[in-house]
Amino acid sequence: MQIGFAKPSPSAIEVRGLRTRLGNHEVLRGVSLKVQRGQIVALIGPNGSGKTTLLRCLLGIQKSDAGEIRLFDQPFSTVGLNRVGYVPQRLQTERSFILTVREFLALRVKRTHGWLWHSKAHTDRLLADTLEEMGVGALLDRPLAALSGGQLQRVLIAFSLIGSPELLLLDEPTAGVDTPGEDSFYEMMAQVHRRHKLTVVLVSHDLGMVYRHASWVYALNGVICCEGTPEQVMNADSLKQAYGIHVAPYHHHHGGVHAH
Amino acid sequence: MSRRITTITEASMLTEPFMVRALIAALLLGPACGLLGVFVTARRMSFFSDTVAHAALAGVAAGFLLGFPDPTVPLVVVCLGVAVVMLWLKERTELLTDTIMALLLSTSVAVGVVLLSVQRSRWVELDRYLFGDIISIGWPDVAWCAAVAGIVFSLVLVQFDSLSLVTVSEDLAHVAGIPVRRSNYVFVLILTLAVALSIRLLGVVLVTSLVVIPPAAARNLACTLRQQVLFSVLAGLIGSAGGVMASYPLNLPTGPSITLTLAALFVITLGVSMLRRKTKPALAQP
Repeated sequence: MQIGFAKPSPSAIEVRGLRTRLGNHEVLRGVSLKVQRGQIVALIGPNGSGKTTLLRCLLGIQKSDAGEIRLFDQPFSTVGLNRVGYVPQRLQTERSFILTVREFLALRVKRTHGWLWHSKAHTDRLLADTLEEMGVGALLDRPLAALSGGQLQRVLIAFSLIGSPELLLLDEPTAGVDTPGEDSFYEMMAQVHRRHKLTVVLVSHDLGMVYRHASWVYALNGVICCEGTPEQVMNADSLKQAYGIHVAPYHHHHGGVHAH
Repeated sequence: MSRRITTITEASMLTEPFMVRALIAALLLGPACGLLGVFVTARRMSFFSDTVAHAALAGVAAGFLLGFPDPTVPLVVVCLGVAVVMLWLKERTELLTDTIMALLLSTSVAVGVVLLSVQRSRWVELDRYLFGDIISIGWPDVAWCAAVAGIVFSLVLVQFDSLSLVTVSEDLAHVAGIPVRRSNYVFVLILTLAVALSIRLLGVVLVTSLVVIPPAAARNLACTLRQQVLFSVLAGLIGSAGGVMASYPLNLPTGPSITLTLAALFVITLGVSMLRRKTKPALAQP
């Protein structure tokens, strides 16, 4: 199913014919998509369908073999990344590296605002306010490696927001988070989206979240299988195209929906 | 009486030029390795310094074969070469990092032993490089140590935020505009230089202890990264200088003496950490 854009507006991301190989396996086989500014766009698809690879290509971490990526209507460049925030699935932090949340966030403050522009008091206030907004103000002096999955994701969003991004990319932000935690995370994310007027692109397996919060959905399986509003994509035929097998939305008792 | 003996021993130790040179080298390299060690342990690179150190054997043997009277230059060159090959193999092949390191470690040791075995007269040198020999440290070596310590401290302190972010997540560092690949190469090169020069003090077999034990001891006491860096530098300083000073009156080989001093520091900090945890259980659980 291909549904055209109703009214053209400035795009945050535009991808045309993107092809990428990991080893001998061609993970992305000509992906094209367009993300309008201000949208929450969900990328869904089975494991190994190339969702994370696509995000990594958008950030320039993964090289592409062919195709074109434009960020904010400009050809991709590392300068454009100044306007992008990224929340990875996990960090490579070891417990032996005792970086506190305060120190971690301060790294972003210094990269964004420089050393000279902010007093320590101003930086402390900025960090405390950003963490409060994420609902994790008490974590400021905790070691990063000691945070739970849900706490870490909120700290990572705070890290991104300090850079004042216009586009936020999240890679399965609720992997390893329990269902009530998932729900409150997505509520918080929706608030952040509204408050900061962000464009959000997220990879998710939680179809309930996609249904409730996403304004546009791309189903990926090496190529874009279907796209549209959640109502248009979240039907059995579309999901079968993406997942390759019969998939029906499963409503669990917390109100969430997962593919099964 | 015992105090008087100690004073005499310390005084006579400092009249020995080789001990003065060894002490200065220890005071320069101990803190530098302690500083680098914080990032080495966090990046799981302890085996890397071991591999680079063992590559030194091939450098020493090649240096003698080529007629170098002092093998410091070929030692450093071979260590840097092995480090670059290691990074290249990591980037260009699907091999796991520890496989690459084991491959290079065993190959370079084999090359070193073969090259030394064709120069029978140099076979005695093997012991000197395996376990360290402070008598062989000359003033040019001290000058090398000063230069490398200067490079390590200036680069790490200037690049502290970048190194920290790359250690936490290379992807986040990339998005924040840090040239991750260049940062990793620079880190590996300064680590290789520090390890290669420390071989004179501790020897190939024990040199990793100067990189690994100080940050481990610091981790027992620190609550923030800045504290860990400060304590690790101090542990490197105390362990290396203390080890050199203890080796003279006790007539011990310097390499094991430094390693045992560092190990003692680790045990003491571990004890303090466990005591602190007992008295403040709520704070110990993050």
